[in-house]
Amino acid sequence: MRTLRILARNPLSVVGLVLVLLIIFAAVFAQYIVPYPTHNGSVIDFAFANKPPSARNWFGTDLVGRDIFSRIIYAYQISLTLGVVVLAVATPIGTIIGLLAGYVGGWVENVLMRLVDIFLSIPPLVLAIAMMGVLEPTLTNAMLAVTVVWWPWYARLVYSIARAEREEGYVLAAEVIGASAVHISFREILPNCLPAIITKMTLDMGFVIIIASSLSFLGLGVQPPTPDLGSMVAEGARYLPDSWWLSVFPGLAILVAVFGFNLLGDGLREILSVDK
Amino acid sequence: MSALLDIKDLKLGFNTLAGYVDVLKGINVSIKPGEKVALVGESGSGKSVTARIILGLLQEHRDALVSGDVQFNGQNINTLSPKDRASLRGKDISMIFQDPTSSLNPVFTIKKQFLEVLSRGDEKLSRKSRVDRATQLLGTVSITDPKRVLNSYPFQLSGGMNQRVMIAMALANHPKLLLADEPGTALDVSVQAQTLSLMRDLVTQNNTAVLFISHNLGVVREFADRIYVIYKGNIVEDGPTHCIFNNAQHPYTRALLAAVPRITGTGLPDVPEVSDEFLAPYVGHMQVS
Repeated sequence: MRTLRILARNPLSVVGLVLVLLIIFAAVFAQYIVPYPTHNGSVIDFAFANKPPSARNWFGTDLVGRDIFSRIIYAYQISLTLGVVVLAVATPIGTIIGLLAGYVGGWVENVLMRLVDIFLSIPPLVLAIAMMGVLEPTLTNAMLAVTVVWWPWYARLVYSIARAEREEGYVLAAEVIGASAVHISFREILPNCLPAIITKMTLDMGFVIIIASSLSFLGLGVQPPTPDLGSMVAEGARYLPDSWWLSVFPGLAILVAVFGFNLLGDGLREILSVDK
Repeated sequence: MSALLDIKDLKLGFNTLAGYVDVLKGINVSIKPGEKVALVGESGSGKSVTARIILGLLQEHRDALVSGDVQFNGQNINTLSPKDRASLRGKDISMIFQDPTSSLNPVFTIKKQFLEVLSRGDEKLSRKSRVDRATQLLGTVSITDPKRVLNSYPFQLSGGMNQRVMIAMALANHPKLLLADEPGTALDVSVQAQTLSLMRDLVTQNNTAVLFISHNLGVVREFADRIYVIYKGNIVEDGPTHCIFNNAQHPYTRALLAAVPRITGTGLPDVPEVSDEFLAPYVGHMQVS
């Protein structure tokens, strides 16, 4: 309740929460709510090809007559799955490495953090593109590529917090009562890193969606006919400005998702920092 | 009576980037069961590292070189395996720190942290009996509403409250030795005095030996049976509290005594930072036991 009250004090984060909940709801129940449930595959309907927005097709139709609104909802499914899987894998990896480096220190810290630095020195999108250039362009490989560029940021974040927390009195107090290094890292320090980790995960959902869309915009992500926001924008870009709905609506869909997760993340940051 | 803690010729040095640094130059300290002993000296004199060595924390530090004998309860802490050392901590030896609030993890309630300490003493204890025990122990440190305190987070309690909680936790598993590293220095003076007298009563009741580390002779006077004065890694004078206060022999002890500000307003005495006199040989007072 208290959490909701603090969230409500910041109207923008409520907007974020509502957007995020709407997107999740739409993605989960896509089959039941989209007007044309079969349009996520290779349906062809030339009679309605390339039509501007109308009452029949709210966001218009694409070049082979598929409903763009339906395809956007399905694309959210892909984007969210990708975001959740990437974060679910990258966060624990980065967290464990950051905790180890931050708490144990010494050569462990040097080896791990220099490795992290190597990854961070390459721009994420460039590294992801390079990886996708080698790998086959599938959803799984896109997840893999984004995960590889993502975990170092968590390692860096958790490391910096763990480094500071290590000097706190409660860590010494735990050492003094004979707690093991594992206990201290995971049961004492990790809970103090969680607010930052959760905030970053929420903010990152948006950024993961952007980077995944960028990959598929370049043709390196999910392949047609599976709907993906990035490849839809790419496909429609060739027909701008005449058939503007082909790329503008998928582009707006990316914007809305990223916007929602960012606003929510900002709100969470406030809530979680109040606790401290 | 044989000593509970017997430190003989303890030396400690650190390898640093700037070379080898001598921190302890061969100190001797002994504490009998139930005895309250103070280790007094200025910042950097080697007080706190002595406590870390007794806990066996510095022996595991790779840049620290520890030599000499630290006998605790018949075991040499310097040669024990890290695992055996860890098993002493929190059971036979416990510690209280300067800042009670930061010694408690901010994200857990007092209850969770207290129960963890209790289960370290006896793993088989049921949750309910641990809660009862925690409640009862908080009563012994004059906390009148233990229920509320147990369900609070450290930052919701005052520094004095947290200090009492820390004392209760430190004594929960009936340690034989309590290390108190400038306890309550982060608190205001009146609260510090209250909690110290509480602590003194409790350790006397439980027959817990205490090594009280402080830079403040005034605080120590009320608390300790015996005092060791440490300067630059050497014990310069030791003896029963009243001997040190009434009949200090070593120039450094005298300077330290003179440095305690007095309420009469004579101003702070001029204590030189370093003086050849301070390096005078060790003075031991007759042990009256």
